[in-house]
This record gives sequence, structure tokens and C-alpha cells, in this order.
Amino acid sequence: MSKTMIEVSNVTMRFRMNSDRILSLKEFVTTALRGKLDYRDFTALEDVSFTVKKGETLGLVGRNGAGKSTLLKVISGILKPTQGSVAAHGNVVPMLELGSGFDFDLTGKENIFLNGAILGYSESFLKEKYQEIVDFSELGEFIHVPMRNYSSGMVARLAFSVATMVHPDILIVDEILAVGDAQFQEKSKARMMELMGGGTTVLFVSHSIDQIRDMCSRVLWLEQGMVKMLGRTNEVCDAYAM
Amino acid sequence: MSKKKGAISQKHPQEAPVRIPRFCAGIFLLYWLLIAAFYVLAGEQLHLRQSRGALELPAAESGTVELCQGAVVEQCFTAEIQRFQSVSVQWGTYYRPNAGTVAIELWNLADGSLLLSQSYDAAAITEGGLTTLTAREPIEGIYGAPLLLKVYADCQPGSAPSPLMNQSAPAQEGFSLSLNGAPAQGTLCFSASGEDYIWTGLHYWEFAAGFGAALALALIYIWRRWAAGKHSYVVYALTALKQYRFLIRQLVSRDFRTKYKRSVLGMFWSFLNPLLTMMVQYFVFSTIFRSDIPNYAAYLLIGIVSFNFFSEACGMALTSIIGNAPLITKVYMPKYIYPLTRVMSSVVNLGISLIPLVIVCVATGVEFRKSAVLAFYFLACLMIFSLGLGLLLSSAMVFFRDTQFLWGVFSMMWMYATPIFYPESILPEEFKFILRINPLYYFLKNIRMCILDGLSPEPAIYVQCLLMAFGMLAAGAVVFRGSQDRFVLYL
Repeated sequence: MSKTMIEVSNVTMRFRMNSDRILSLKEFVTTALRGKLDYRDFTALEDVSFTVKKGETLGLVGRNGAGKSTLLKVISGILKPTQGSVAAHGNVVPMLELGSGFDFDLTGKENIFLNGAILGYSESFLKEKYQEIVDFSELGEFIHVPMRNYSSGMVARLAFSVATMVHPDILIVDEILAVGDAQFQEKSKARMMELMGGGTTVLFVSHSIDQIRDMCSRVLWLEQGMVKMLGRTNEVCDAYAM
Repeated sequence: MSKKKGAISQKHPQEAPVRIPRFCAGIFLLYWLLIAAFYVLAGEQLHLRQSRGALELPAAESGTVELCQGAVVEQCFTAEIQRFQSVSVQWGTYYRPNAGTVAIELWNLADGSLLLSQSYDAAAITEGGLTTLTAREPIEGIYGAPLLLKVYADCQPGSAPSPLMNQSAPAQEGFSLSLNGAPAQGTLCFSASGEDYIWTGLHYWEFAAGFGAALALALIYIWRRWAAGKHSYVVYALTALKQYRFLIRQLVSRDFRTKYKRSVLGMFWSFLNPLLTMMVQYFVFSTIFRSDIPNYAAYLLIGIVSFNFFSEACGMALTSIIGNAPLITKVYMPKYIYPLTRVMSSVVNLGISLIPLVIVCVATGVEFRKSAVLAFYFLACLMIFSLGLGLLLSSAMVFFRDTQFLWGVFSMMWMYATPIFYPESILPEEFKFILRINPLYYFLKNIRMCILDGLSPEPAIYVQCLLMAFGMLAAGAVVFRGSQDRFVLYL
């Protein structure tokens, strides 16, 4: 049970930011001609290193802008680090923002297959799990209705159901447990617990210290892109809460 | 880089591994199937092409002599034609009815033999009309040989026609005109044509075997590397293709479903759209501008269908990255998938719009010969070209959002620079270079040739088109690859 699943070594993420983002050729040429093409470097992550072992649930805490989401994006492969390297051993299912792969002109059913494909599930797997996903999302007949007619709670429920239907090796979760009504929240929490019990490695970001204490075995505290503290849940949470 | 590959190969542990030996054998078999199919489909045009040494008809300026009994017009010439087929003479009639018989003979002066001869009824000759002397079997072995074209008649003065001539033609080696035995300045209005052998076509099987051997070596190399467990790009690409097949299919069907989701006629529009455009343009250009293209409806529709595909594929690929920004910033997948699926959706649309094309071709009496199958080769080139340009545009669009507007103008210019609704002959000589630098012109011209003329272009054209298509793809892929890691920062 001590296999290393995620290895983050000396990761630095630097964005080159123009004072105002230039997005047109005309602007680019005119500002370049005026000699005003100044870039400022913004360091979102600096020299971050840690490892996560199989079955662990690592919580990430930190203030807004501390680099938590950037770190998750680097680990899920969306961003490429400026320096350092990340190795993830196993299939990664990122749940950064639920429902980002949905097309609201399609029905819920069509979206289950589309979103499932985006998350990397195979066709046979989705066909097999389709009924389970629909049941879990409690959408019932609404599954055959275009998603533009869904309430936001329905969208979130469907997204959660699709994303957690696999047993991924690594699950990356960014503040998504506040989904649906109280009853569904209970259900989704139970589902997460079930996944963690099944050997899934979880990276978990939340602003709720209670949730972190509840679910995580270790906690990483980021401040201004640097690791402020990394250790047992209670120690870090106590230090952070102060 | 190493990290990214890691992420890709780990995403779908449930997928079966790629079967490289089967793949290698399949590719090799496919190669020979295509080679054989091409040999059958290209037919004669693989070996023979219109001779480049053919002599054009000079502009008629005046008559030679009134061709009464005893008068003779003799034109010496040489032609660099390997298989001599026909020679034509242009006539003047003095705008009167004529009578009698005229005879044309073609002599080989090298050995004094008579090659061709034929008599014509002078009454049937029209002003500016041509009489053509055609060999039953193409004549070989007179390439560059001195030839003599002899024209005489048994007509009475007052009712005899006269072959036309061009007096201002510059003197050429081996060319001389004599009228009734007296040397004259200028040249007779005649033309000669035939075919040349194509060297590459004659050695088709040698070439095929050579490339086949090279392919076999490459496949064995890939196989060995795979068996030894080393990393190779081919295996990597195949794994990716297998993994993302389902995703690609889902994205294509999404494009397709959302496109027609709220329209009553649905996918019928893919079918109707080119047909309606063609009808409007057909009406405009055949009544207002009067073009003399045979079977203009089919000519036009092929142009519209091909160019529509091109502009749709590029236009959709252009916005593919920024349009999927919410996905790209949230989920990892290879970014080339987005432009690729957009182009593939356009391919589906192209497939549907081929149906009205076939219907119009059949209705207007186009005879489909086996060469029509070869049009798919050039359509494939067009697809590869569009994918390359789409990759280029989609990455440019991320960094400069005004690419969209530039492309709008540029694609309109491109449309007018491509002979879609006009014949290529209406372009003045000084603008002909526009066609020569326009890859779409080559694709379109050859698609039309395969379908409408029932002829296969000469072998060099196939290579040329393939190079243009893959050149564009390589350029697009290099730009895309170099910039894809920075996309997410600009979305």
C-alpha cells in the first residue's frame, strides 16, 4: 500500500503576464511599435515538491491565490510546469469544475457519453454503467431532455455522477462536494468515502477546514506559491486555523 | 515532455494494447492493394500523356494559294512527338461554295515513305474549318524526324478552297513552306498532336517495388523496436489513436448533432445547401455571364462542394481551440483532437454533399468512368491540406483574436482566386501565376478531370498534390506543436 502515485519535484510555475493581455495582432503591433511590450513574471508556484502514496487523501489548504488550483492543473497535465517535473502513475480523473465538458444543446444521455469520453472512459464501460449513472444522478426522465433546460443542481448532480463512476487511480477534486441539496451532498460524500476506501489516491482542495479534517490523511498548506507546511492533518489544520 | 507522455499512456488502462505485427502486415497489404488499384484505375494515362511537343495552330492571317488542279502547298516540319496521332489543316473558302476533292498527305522525308493520306470533299469545308488526318494506329519512330505535309486538289479555279497561313511566324529550324514549289515566308495553319510515353509510368512496377521495399524495411524496423520494447513515435501515435477513437467519435457526432439540432430539416441541409448554392450560381453565371464550359452545372457543383468543404473545415478548426476553452483549461487531452475533430465533421458533411453531386452528374449525362474513383485521391489531398491549415489557424487564433477577421477576408480572396464558377481560361496571362501558386486549383482541376473528362492526370501530378497536402500538414503540425503548451495561458 506504499506505492508512490504522485511525484511532484521542484515544480515552479511562472506566468509571463503582460500588463494588459494583448489578444489581437493590431494591438500587438501597435504596442510593440510604441515599445510598451513589457512583461511581468508572476510566480504561481515556486519549488514545490512532495509525494503522495497510494490510497492517501492529501488535502490542500491556503488562501485565495495561494496556487492551489494551479497545482492541481499542473498535476492533471493541463498546465506544463516552467521548471521541475510531475509524474503521475495511474489514470487521473480531474474534477476541477464540474460539467465543463457538457454541451447544453444535447440531452443528458448524449452528454453522459460525451463527458465520459472526455474523461477517458471507454464506450463499453459507459454503456455498462449508463443506468447506474442515471440512477445515481436522480435525474429520471430528465435524462432525455436537452441540458439547457436543467437546473444548476441537476447539472452538478449529473456531472458528479459521471465523474465518480470509475474507480480512478488518482482523483483530483476542487471544491465540488457542495453539490445539490443536503441529501445529495450526503450521498456524494459517501461516494467519495467509498472511492477513497477502494484505494483511490485523492487530492482534495477545500476552504472548509471541517471537511479537510474529516476526509484527509495529510495536508499541504500553500502560501504565495510555496509550501508553508506539510504534515499530519491535525497539526497543519491547527496551524492554519490560527 | 516525459511527463505528458506518462499521462497519456496511463489514462486508459482498460484499453487493449496495440497489435503492431497485425498493423505492419495490414499496412503492407494495403500498400499493394492501392498500388494495384491505381494501376487499374489510371489506365492508359499512366503511360501516356498529351505530347508536350504538340504543334499549336497558328493564328490565320491570309490564304496561301487557290488550290486548283496542279497547285500544291508543302509544309516541312519536325515534331517532338513519340506517338504521332493526327495533323490538321485550317481552310479558307473565299466565302463561296466550292467543289472538288482536296487531298492531304504526310510524308516522312527521312526515308521517303508516305505515312498518312486522305481525301476530303471540298464542298464540305467551311471557312476557318479544319480537316484532320488521323492515324489509325499512333505512328512511332518519327520523333524529331523531318516531315512533309502536302496539300493539293483537283478543283476548278473559282470553286477551290485555300489552306490558311500565318505570314509573320518566325523562321524555325526544320520548318519551311513552299507554295507551288516556290519557298514562301511564314507557316501553314496546321497543328499536330500525339502522345508521349511517361518514363515513370513505364517503370511503374519498378517504382512500386522500390517503394514497397522501403516500406517493408521501415515496417520491419518499427516492428523490431516495438518487440524490443523501445519507445517509438509510430507506436505512440497508434496508441493515442486507439485511446482517443471513442472520444473523437463522440466529438464529431456532437458537432454534427448540435449543428442541425434546432432545424426542422436537420441533416438534410448538408445535402440541400450545395444544391441550392449551385442553382443560384448556375442561374447567375449561365444566363448573365454566359460561360462556354461544357456541362457547367456539374463543373460548378464540383467547385462548390470542394471549396465549401475547405472553407468550412478551416473556419471550424479556426475556432476549435478558443471555442473549447472551458474544456482545455479543465481536462487534459491532446489538443490536436479539437481541430482534428472539426475537420472530420466537415468530412462527414462533404460525404453527404457528394450525394447531390452524383445526382447532378447523372442527370446532366456525365459518364462515370473508372477514373472517377481517383477523384477521391485528390479529395483526400484536400482534406489533409485543410487539416494542416486548420492546425495553423487554430493556434494563430489563440494568440491573435483578429485572425478570425483576417481569415474571413483571406478566404474570400482565395475563393475568387480559385476557378470555382469561372473557367480558368478567362484569367489574363499576367494573372495566371495566381493559379500556379494556388494548391486548391490543382486539387480542384484534377477532381474535375477525373470525374468530368474521365481521364487520370499524369503520374507526376499525383506526387505534386500529395507533396502540397503533406507540406501544409507538416507546417501546421510544427506550429501547433510548438505553441500548444502556451494555449492555456491565453485562453
